[in-house]
Amino acid sequence: MSTIRARSAASYWLAVPAALWMLGVVVVPIVLLAWVSLWGGRTFSPASPLTFDNYTKFFANKTYLQLALSTVGHTAVLMAVTGVLGYGIAYFLTMKVRSPRWRLVLFLAFVVPFWTSTLIRGIAWVPFLGVNGVINQALIFTGATRSPIEAFLYSRFGISMAQASLYTMMAAGPVVYMLNAIQPALREAAMTLKAPPLVVFWRIVFPLTLPGVVIGQVLVFLNVMADFATVATVGGNKHAMLPNLVLLFYEGSQHRAASVVAVLLMACMLIGVIAALRVVDIRRLGADR
Amino acid sequence: MKLGWKLRSDIVGWALGTLTVVFLAYQWLPILTLGLLSFAGPTGGTTFPMNGVSLHWYAELWKATVMNDFKPPLVRSSLLAAACALTTIVLSVMSAQAMRGRFRGNNWFFYLMLLGIMAPGILVGFGFAVLMRLLGIELAWNTTTFLVQVSWTLPFGFLTMLAVFNRFDSRVEEAALTLGASRITAFRRITLPLILPGVIGAGLFGFSLSYDEYPRSMFTTGPDQTLPLAIMAQLDRQLTPEIYAIGTTTTAFSLIAVLMCSSALWAMRRSTSARRS
Repeated sequence: MSTIRARSAASYWLAVPAALWMLGVVVVPIVLLAWVSLWGGRTFSPASPLTFDNYTKFFANKTYLQLALSTVGHTAVLMAVTGVLGYGIAYFLTMKVRSPRWRLVLFLAFVVPFWTSTLIRGIAWVPFLGVNGVINQALIFTGATRSPIEAFLYSRFGISMAQASLYTMMAAGPVVYMLNAIQPALREAAMTLKAPPLVVFWRIVFPLTLPGVVIGQVLVFLNVMADFATVATVGGNKHAMLPNLVLLFYEGSQHRAASVVAVLLMACMLIGVIAALRVVDIRRLGADR
Repeated sequence: MKLGWKLRSDIVGWALGTLTVVFLAYQWLPILTLGLLSFAGPTGGTTFPMNGVSLHWYAELWKATVMNDFKPPLVRSSLLAAACALTTIVLSVMSAQAMRGRFRGNNWFFYLMLLGIMAPGILVGFGFAVLMRLLGIELAWNTTTFLVQVSWTLPFGFLTMLAVFNRFDSRVEEAALTLGASRITAFRRITLPLILPGVIGAGLFGFSLSYDEYPRSMFTTGPDQTLPLAIMAQLDRQLTPEIYAIGTTTTAFSLIAVLMCSSALWAMRRSTSARRS
């Protein structure tokens, strides 16, 4: 017994406003984009004949295809980097820091930037990476290089550096949560039975945190795939990913081409998320095990 | 000779500790640099050396008119964020409570909400703008942008509330109902106070995600811009320490919001634990 009766009409009506909101603002526009991407003819109107021309045009262009592939590749690299960094940091914070006060301080220092603007944090990398930027000045000062390295700002490497700082928290957060949920008795039992530390980690700790790892990877995947703002600020106009292409077409009033890219981007994301959902059940998170 | 496991564990601890500290520096240095450079002198550029220390760029920010005036966007963004926070709170509590009722189709409802987090902002914004264009509806920060931003903040609030209810002990509600309270009274007097920390968390998500939202607003805002849009527009025009000043200001603003919410949570937890003992 609770304040809501199971399968009652009330529970149904409570969900209706949110459901309508999400349908109207998220589902309808995405379906609309899929429809628009099939519009042929010259005028931008629902009366257009349906064709696959827009897709064939996109796939016929080698540059676009390369861009799509490099977006996926770039995302994979960032998933790997933030995954390893995030797991290490999460493990240190929950397992290795003994003093609760220090743990809190370090944890806050780690997560607080998440609550500030991603846009501003992206912009903050600009004075860092430029030819006269902080990194180059430090490198010249220490004598590591004589002339400034131009490869940082407006480069893939610079974009990756900024994004790694932006999204590692997302890879680590869910792992921290899962590590905290592990009962110490489990590890103690394994150690009493003389399992070496590495085996305890590999056979006990890691499998229990796997859902956290997967969720973190999904978050990084979704964010990096869709992050055009960091690419635009740190990468300048020299670099583009799939979402930047949407923007480019949109600004050129090529709505149908933009829709094609949008549909492809959405397809990538659906595939990624469905693959991840097969591994973990997000709905059970937070429930007592 | 094999190393003892204690020593090896210490080595792992030190290695991971170094990694963590280095990463924290890596994460914070750009933000701190931004803050520092915003205090550059009037002739100061956008990198070091700073050419003096002054509040010049903050004064510029305050005096600015028309083109690079950040005050109206700041007001708009704050109002919008507050509205999103309130809407998120109400809708996420309602829908999480609905999920407890396991209504027919609750699975689909859950995935519908998840879609709001999953769908890239640029697609939602672009699609919604096309929809509004076909329907002939004018874009404005307080109508279309609000609608779109809630679809982004609501799922986060919803997941927060689901996690709260997953750990919720419904026996206390049962006790209230057995003692003759109506469902609504029991919810108001028993359930709501117990889930209040989660509600504040949902509100914080609503505020902060809306306040910083860029991709969705970009397509749906119309002529009167929100703060992130104004910052991006200024960045496209020219990079001056003024950007750093506004960046520092809004970062400080976000941090204050987080601080207020977490101290509210802390005070609440303290008062409940005091009552228990």
